[in-house]
Amino acid sequence: MKKLIVILALSVLPALAQSDKQWVLDSSTLTYHVSHPLHEVDGVSHAALGKGVCHAGQCDFLVAAQVKSFDTGDSNRNLHMIQVTQGAQYPIVSVRFRLPESSLSSATIICDLEIQFAGQTAHFQQLVFQQVIQGNEHRITGTIPSTLQNFKITPPSFFTVPLRNEMPVKVDVSWYSQ
Amino acid sequence: MIFSRNRKTAKIIFSSAVLLIVLASPFSSFAQVDNTALPDAPAPSLLASNAEQTQQNQPPSPAATAGSPQPSSDNQPPSLGDLGLTPEQTAGSATAQALLDKRTRMLKIHQRLGLLTTLPLAATLFASGEAPCNHNCGPSAGADLHASLGVLTVGMYSATAYYAIAAPKIPGTEKKGAIRWHEVLACIHGPGMILTPILGAMALKQQDAGEKVHGIAAAHSAVALTTATAYGVSIIAVSWPIKIKFWEHQ
Repeated sequence: MKKLIVILALSVLPALAQSDKQWVLDSSTLTYHVSHPLHEVDGVSHAALGKGVCHAGQCDFLVAAQVKSFDTGDSNRNLHMIQVTQGAQYPIVSVRFRLPESSLSSATIICDLEIQFAGQTAHFQQLVFQQVIQGNEHRITGTIPSTLQNFKITPPSFFTVPLRNEMPVKVDVSWYSQ
Repeated sequence: MIFSRNRKTAKIIFSSAVLLIVLASPFSSFAQVDNTALPDAPAPSLLASNAEQTQQNQPPSPAATAGSPQPSSDNQPPSLGDLGLTPEQTAGSATAQALLDKRTRMLKIHQRLGLLTTLPLAATLFASGEAPCNHNCGPSAGADLHASLGVLTVGMYSATAYYAIAAPKIPGTEKKGAIRWHEVLACIHGPGMILTPILGAMALKQQDAGEKVHGIAAAHSAVALTTATAYGVSIIAVSWPIKIKFWEHQ
């Protein structure tokens, strides 16, 4: 009887190993930074949603946030940001990436991102993110070196001086697997 | 006897194992039928409801309508619907964008006019030194220049205020940050810009009549200074926090 149980368990294991895994974004802090000779502005969103689906050793991830969820601490500036990024017409910023399932346990994650924002799609190659795994939680941090030009955003100006082109986005997200 | 019994048991175990592997394998047609035919297990997680929403949001594919077997939707890359975003949240609005564009256009004019208004305002304050008289009062060129610059300031200020007041309001926006100070200060310089020319006109009339400025008209300069200060602070407030970094700008 014992032998039977052992053999049955062993026979089921390969099937379990092939079962699909899903990932859910638990918490997130996305911070964009724009710079002007008179201003340094950070817009923060904690409202990103995300999901990952693994199949056949590859995992497809999608993270999305509403453009209006980014807060600079000034309602007037927030509205200007939505206007200049066409946030009413394209209300979602989304990030897609694919990772090998085997890389999800490493301390450093290197991936290519496809970002849809302001009606444009930009690709970022070989970005490096740091990962800290605590129990079931995978905390990933890093920076996306995006620019206004990547999304064909006309730099808004203040006192006739335009914003700098650089718009790095700091990423701090926690995922858990299901 | 014992040997033949063991053989029989081994045969049963082997065939059970093969059957289990075949059934559990994701490449098995049985497994696919199971995935598509059986309803999702009730789960209180976000994913369960999202998967349902995705199915509702996505139009049926031609393959699905043809009745061919479909892979489990879980194997597809996630979509916005999977995240729980409703079509209302993901759909853009050209009308709302046009409203924002109009608001920005008007506020840009407000900003430029507001900055330009500081020039006649400063000139008016500068010219005020020649305006009052202490003895032998009567019509004077200094007072007239001061009054003319004051009228120009009030005119430009009115145009500036118009573009702020007439700019479209975005419903559901809770005001916070520097804009609140900008608006609070407008409650000071707004009435001040109305009161200052009235008091100025009264003062000028008294002065032209050869009288020393007296009564409420004597408050003209104090009201004007308060108004100008509130106006200047209002410009700084809306730009706050200022971090001068011109040397880093490229």
